[in-house]
Amino acid sequence: MEFGFKLSPSSAVNLDQVDLSLYERLAAIEPDLRICMACGSCSATCTAAPFTGMSVRKVILDLQRGKEKEAAKMLSGCMLCGKCTMVCPRGINTRHLILSLCRIYGTKAKEEGK
Amino acid sequence: MIDRVASGFHPFVLPFLFGMIFVLGYCLYGIVKILLQLSHEDRRRFLLSLINPVTAWKNIKDIFLNCLLHVKLWKRNPVLGYMHSSIAFGWFMLIVLGHIEVMLFVPHRMRQVWYPIFFNYFVAEGPGPATVQGALLFTLMDFFLLVVLSGIALAMIKRVRSRIFGMRRTTRPSFLDRVGLYSLWAIFPLRLLAEGFTAHISGGGFLITPLNWVFRQFLGDQLHMLPTWWAYSIALCIFMCVLPFTRYMHIPAEMMLIPMRNAGLKIKHARRGFTRAMVWSCPNCGVCIDACPMSVKKINLKDTTVYLNRNIRRGNEERIEQISDKCLLCGKCREVCQIGLDGPSIRIAQRAMRSYGLNQDYTSFRPAPAPAGHKLLYFAGCMTQLTPRISKAVGSVLDKAGLDWEIMDKDGGLCCGRPLMTAGRFVQAKQLIRQNSELIRASGCDTLLLSCPICYKIFKERYKLEGVRVVHTAEFFEELIQTGALHVEKGDIRYVFHDPCELGRGSGIYEQPRRILGRAGYLVESEPNRAESICCGGSLGSLTLGFAQREDMTRNALKHLTEGGPDAIATACPLCLATFSRYADRAVQDIAEILDRVSSKG
Amino acid sequence: MSKDNIVIIGGGIAGMTAASRLLRLGYTPIIVEESDHLGGHVAEWHKLFPDMAPAQDIVQRLAEEVSAANIFLSTRVLFINRLHDTYIVMLNNGVSIQAQAVLIATGFNLFDATKKEEYGYGIYDQVLTNRDLERWFTTGDDPRLNGHEVKRAGFVHCVGSRDVKAGNTQCSKVCCVTAIKQAIELKEKFPDAEIWCFYMDLRLFGKKYEDFYINAQKDYGIHFIRGRVSEVSEGLDGRVIVKAEDTLSGKPVKVTLDLLVLMSGMVCNATINPIATSLGIDLDSDGFLRSKDNISHIVSSGRKGLFLAGACTGTKTVPETIAEANSAALDIHLYLTEGK
Repeated sequence: MEFGFKLSPSSAVNLDQVDLSLYERLAAIEPDLRICMACGSCSATCTAAPFTGMSVRKVILDLQRGKEKEAAKMLSGCMLCGKCTMVCPRGINTRHLILSLCRIYGTKAKEEGK
Repeated sequence: MIDRVASGFHPFVLPFLFGMIFVLGYCLYGIVKILLQLSHEDRRRFLLSLINPVTAWKNIKDIFLNCLLHVKLWKRNPVLGYMHSSIAFGWFMLIVLGHIEVMLFVPHRMRQVWYPIFFNYFVAEGPGPATVQGALLFTLMDFFLLVVLSGIALAMIKRVRSRIFGMRRTTRPSFLDRVGLYSLWAIFPLRLLAEGFTAHISGGGFLITPLNWVFRQFLGDQLHMLPTWWAYSIALCIFMCVLPFTRYMHIPAEMMLIPMRNAGLKIKHARRGFTRAMVWSCPNCGVCIDACPMSVKKINLKDTTVYLNRNIRRGNEERIEQISDKCLLCGKCREVCQIGLDGPSIRIAQRAMRSYGLNQDYTSFRPAPAPAGHKLLYFAGCMTQLTPRISKAVGSVLDKAGLDWEIMDKDGGLCCGRPLMTAGRFVQAKQLIRQNSELIRASGCDTLLLSCPICYKIFKERYKLEGVRVVHTAEFFEELIQTGALHVEKGDIRYVFHDPCELGRGSGIYEQPRRILGRAGYLVESEPNRAESICCGGSLGSLTLGFAQREDMTRNALKHLTEGGPDAIATACPLCLATFSRYADRAVQDIAEILDRVSSKG
Repeated sequence: MSKDNIVIIGGGIAGMTAASRLLRLGYTPIIVEESDHLGGHVAEWHKLFPDMAPAQDIVQRLAEEVSAANIFLSTRVLFINRLHDTYIVMLNNGVSIQAQAVLIATGFNLFDATKKEEYGYGIYDQVLTNRDLERWFTTGDDPRLNGHEVKRAGFVHCVGSRDVKAGNTQCSKVCCVTAIKQAIELKEKFPDAEIWCFYMDLRLFGKKYEDFYINAQKDYGIHFIRGRVSEVSEGLDGRVIVKAEDTLSGKPVKVTLDLLVLMSGMVCNATINPIATSLGIDLDSDGFLRSKDNISHIVSSGRKGLFLAGACTGTKTVPETIAEANSAALDIHLYLTEGK
């Protein structure tokens, strides 16, 4: 409900207006991104999680909800050890997914800036 | 032997002269280009190595043995070795002997560079009796021409039936490669014809004199002489003109590569400098295609090292990226390569060239301190947390040996940094190296034990841990058995050992794990093994190979491992263990696990 | 009595149910069972959901019903050859049978939990499978549990199911409700125990399954964590530490347990595969035998005189298996009486 006055922006995700461009861009490189069933194995096994709260599951979820900044923050501690790829029951190449995301992250802002 | 043509010149030498000037010019351009692309420090190092007598002698020796005699190839495949050395060394000897002939008989023609190549056209047999020198030279010339021709004949057979030569797959030559190939094939038969038609004037050895006699039986006149000399010269010209743009560039390039390698240069860039010399040196033989573990699937054939080189030469950026990211970095192509081309390092350099929108930073990480007060620290590593039988067995063996030890990353720790290295993320890897080094130093241990070869390789090569011995379980446990710290009861299980890439090719450890297995039971070998062992397919080296794409590689490796009918497959890497366990039809065990089962207090 | 020979491969509840029906229809079926007892997996089970009926009751009843059949225990089928409208079934005891109809009821195998090494089965004594626990419920004897008070226990759902790494992408269907059933039984044995179930999705589709779930939550206080266990390590004092992510709170969780039960899933009993393929039955994408179609002809192989029943064609519950076996018996009867 929007009443025209509030102190903080609504935390609700409006799926009508969510910006999925980064998600779609990543999915074009890593189609397996779409088959994540959010089991949490990757997050549980993550070597970086104790230091940064890194979670591939959350990164994917954030992208699906259009929350790019939150996704990026979590990636900053990934050590590419590959454990998440080892445990993923759907066989997603999470390690390359992270690399691809790090690579395309920010390119959109740059392109829009131009 | 006397001059027959007063001017010592004939227009048919022009094509040859043109080709020679072109190819020498291009090589000069290549050398200057490579030198300029080297870093200042590398250039200095390289140039200094050229005047250092030790390396200079090594350079000459290596060039002679590898470029001309192809010693490495002989060891691998004698027929291919003969084919290559017959053409290379035979041709080299023809050129050398040609010069000797000019020097001996017409020394005033030394400045006319075409003389040694077309010697027989420009001379006639002298009026006096034949000299011993002349006869010997003619015999030698004919002998080496025959040697080269036999090599060419083999090359033609190989083109049609490469399987006879033990090669399952070879590269498809490009158009220019074909031009180069056919002109190379043409050169020597044309020389044989030209000299054959001329032998009644110039004289000749056991090959061309009878040939001349045959020719003259039914081709009485001398009309055939000039056209064949022209054809010979044109074939030479075509070959030399296309050479820089074909696989034959390896002939001059390898003479550059060998001194650069002997100078100790390392690959630092995916295109420039040392890499350029390597890429040019690739003869496109395709040995790496059969060696590559990915080649079990046809779709991966064009992702092998030979195609990486080809695409680097063509500047196909998209394919270079794809090929670089797909590779498992198992290092087998480097192992089998005749020129020692370092495909994995070129790929890592390529990965390192990328820019990322998001760069990791671990400097704010505060890992738990490593336990202090123990002489021996065991770093299990990330992967071993998924293979608890290894860590449990390592702990049990260390307890039996009565050692004062502790596990360093019990509640998880930092990654060793090797996976980042393979992804080309050097800056990030160095941060982890620094952090882990501090933890280890602060613990006061004197030995760091690793059961994971991925960790082992980087700890050994990149960490600077003064006073701390970095050791893999394979080495350490073998010592424990040798020194009697462990008592081993031999069982009757037959093991085959799979050499993990990072432990074998990566770190040169082959014998220790085999000795452990020999004590624990019976060791059976499988082919290929040791330095040519087949990657399990699980390697972290590949960035883009998905889970499903790796299955065939794993099954292929397993097929070879189990050919000798072992009861169990032994390995010494948690990643190989996990990968093989998925598809193996028999037990897959780590050497620590095996040793734990058969050992007791010493 | 009909002279037609019917060979039933597999003496589990599918094979026994079909045999029982065929006996009543006037045939004398021949049951070939690989193990030394009838009843298959159900014979090893303690109680069955959703009514907590003792599994032995069903097995006993069926065993009595089929006592008039020809039963070969500890016997394997070596091969089957088709000869016109009959099948020559060769057994490993030297007997060969000319059968007018063959029913494949070879069921499933329990996924080998050692293949999920990160869960520590066979490495840590505190880690059991669903079968081990069920056997302990029945016999009260397991060296890993004898004399131990269970204070904290966990159940891991989907072990070897929905897991491409384990080679099985299908859902084993019964593990969710089995975990809840076993958790309740465990809680009854150790009323003070804290019990956690780690699940990816709870699939409680069957009659009264949801009631079971509510019971477990309300009456037994069993905790449900939505997150797949990633790894198990050894803690101090003989307990195991289980790591997972609580995906609902988005936080990694760690719990120390003295018992961890792995819900091993169902995989096809592959011993029949070579024979099935030799008779023209393919494997479906889930690794089980392929029925003629998966809606109205599940018990039909699409080959004359060759029928399928139970978990050999996919993961099944006990009631589903029994219903299929009944259906297969009827189909066989119709096939033999209405012309071939």
